[in-house]
Amino acid sequence: MADHEIAADVTGTVWKIVRQAGEAVAEGEAIMILESMKMEIPIEAPAAGRLAELRVAEGDPVAEGDIVCVVTA
Amino acid sequence: MSGQKQDDAEHPVAKSDTGQEWDDPLDELAFRRAEALKQGGEAAIERQHGGGRLTVRERIAALTDAGSFREVGSLAGSGTYDAENRLVSVTPAPYVAGFARIDGRPVALGGEDFTVRGGTTFGSQRRKGGQGGFVEDLAWHYRIPLVNLIDGAGGSVTSIRKRGHSVFPGVHGFERSVSLLGAVPVASAVLGTAAGGPAGRAILSHFSVMVRGRSQIFAAGPPVVKRSLGMEIDKEALGGAAVAVDAAGTIHNAADTEEEAFAQIRRFLSYLPSNVWEAPPVLPADDPADRRDEGLASAVPHKRTQPYDMRKLLKLVIDRDSGFEICPTNGKPLITLLARLGGRPVGIVANNPMVYGGAMDAAAARKQVHFMELCDTFHLPIVFFVDVPGFMVGEKAEREGTLREGMRAVFAAGRLKVPTLTLVIRKCYGMAGMATCNKNDIDLKLAWPSAEWGSLPVQGGVAAAFARDIRAAPDPAAREREIEAEFAAYASPFRSAEAFAVEEIIDPRETRPVLCEFVELAERRQRIELGPRLRGGVQP
Repeated sequence: MADHEIAADVTGTVWKIVRQAGEAVAEGEAIMILESMKMEIPIEAPAAGRLAELRVAEGDPVAEGDIVCVVTA
Repeated sequence: MSGQKQDDAEHPVAKSDTGQEWDDPLDELAFRRAEALKQGGEAAIERQHGGGRLTVRERIAALTDAGSFREVGSLAGSGTYDAENRLVSVTPAPYVAGFARIDGRPVALGGEDFTVRGGTTFGSQRRKGGQGGFVEDLAWHYRIPLVNLIDGAGGSVTSIRKRGHSVFPGVHGFERSVSLLGAVPVASAVLGTAAGGPAGRAILSHFSVMVRGRSQIFAAGPPVVKRSLGMEIDKEALGGAAVAVDAAGTIHNAADTEEEAFAQIRRFLSYLPSNVWEAPPVLPADDPADRRDEGLASAVPHKRTQPYDMRKLLKLVIDRDSGFEICPTNGKPLITLLARLGGRPVGIVANNPMVYGGAMDAAAARKQVHFMELCDTFHLPIVFFVDVPGFMVGEKAEREGTLREGMRAVFAAGRLKVPTLTLVIRKCYGMAGMATCNKNDIDLKLAWPSAEWGSLPVQGGVAAAFARDIRAAPDPAAREREIEAEFAAYASPFRSAEAFAVEEIIDPRETRPVLCEFVELAERRQRIELGPRLRGGVQP
């Protein structure tokens, strides 16, 4: 069991939450989608596991490097 | 020059503080060599291992072809003599250097011996390594790559007392280090804590790598920061890989272990000639040049706001497993990749739509400039995989000097001499788009049907150019959409191809065959234009 803290690569806003806290996620699956520079940037699970924590909600601004969620693999 | 191999072990050893004399000078030679191999002594070697680090001799053995190390300067050090002037012991110079082979090709290499006085100087007027050190002469005179294994913090203040005066900066200057960058490949591994001169030398390299969690690099370490700024910070937070590689791009790549760092250096050198007068090394290709990958046809999503994985796309095009990414964690809107096409080394500059849509920020621009100059210096053709919406925008980007750094990339692209091929995958806009081609010389502009380009995108561009018209309309939003639709038709890449504004639009599945053919064709031109590059002008 390892916790993966997932950081946003970009500054932007949370456009859509795809997976809710507690749900199982597959490796490479989109957990949420950020909007930045008019692009929809997916935040993907680095490994299969459970979405332990969601730290942002739709519409929230995020800065580059912010931890947006935690996946327990 | 001595011909010492690392596995020599059985030699006489001084057992007391009384010195020895030898009838046969070969015995003295053997004794002195044995003293050198003791490095800083067992306790110091144990401490080095305890820190999870190899000794410099172990590093050389791990990096180079087995048994290929030919040491130069093995007897340099500080001798201790007794009252009768007989030799008691020798503390070796804290730098080990020589020639060796990597994948059968010769290199000059050296590194600080941290077990001997922390890898500082040893009192001789002549330096074995570091800036202006003999190891740089070896690389320069023999025209072979230089590998620096850096594990030292530079000069020690104790040398002032020894000399009786302080040394003016530049007496042991970086002149040779600078010349080397235009002549032979230079690779540096930062393996311990590097500050001062050794840190500077790591930067004056074509490629640098450090070990995550084990090595640090900074202009000055925590004690100096504390004295200068009153700030408490530990060395990992100040100059670990998270800062020096990921955030700053001070060092290009990070490795998890020293062995992986050496593997990266071997890999880096495999794409480059031994010097700028030789052609890049061509390997037999086991991946057919005419391979067409069906996956490329659907690599770019129809929805233009949806990004895709450029790294995956590149993998489908280059020779199987031939890629080596430089600077993967800094300047992330851009990917710089050494690779092979049909066995021939190429440099690939690709925008990464997953980060800021591939917009060029200051870090990405710096990364592109360094990589293009690297390829140009060693005569590697450059292939641009273009998906760039322009320079990064916003206050942060302006504060970072994105416009200046970005124009520096345009400037550097404009004076490339190496054959370049520009392949537009999706967006190619504005001045950042201009940094992806060079119309001075062999240059071909290709595009996929998904390509779009212009001074600025129709979306947004229309709103600005027709602001009055749109405002005056009864339904401004509808009017804006109407004008956008009209302009979108003109933005088709096929219209540009009609006007011969791009040379060709290709089926994405043809990408590999077309690129392999181009790179092979360009080789003739490369071969007659070998030698150093003269780069005039003043970078903006």
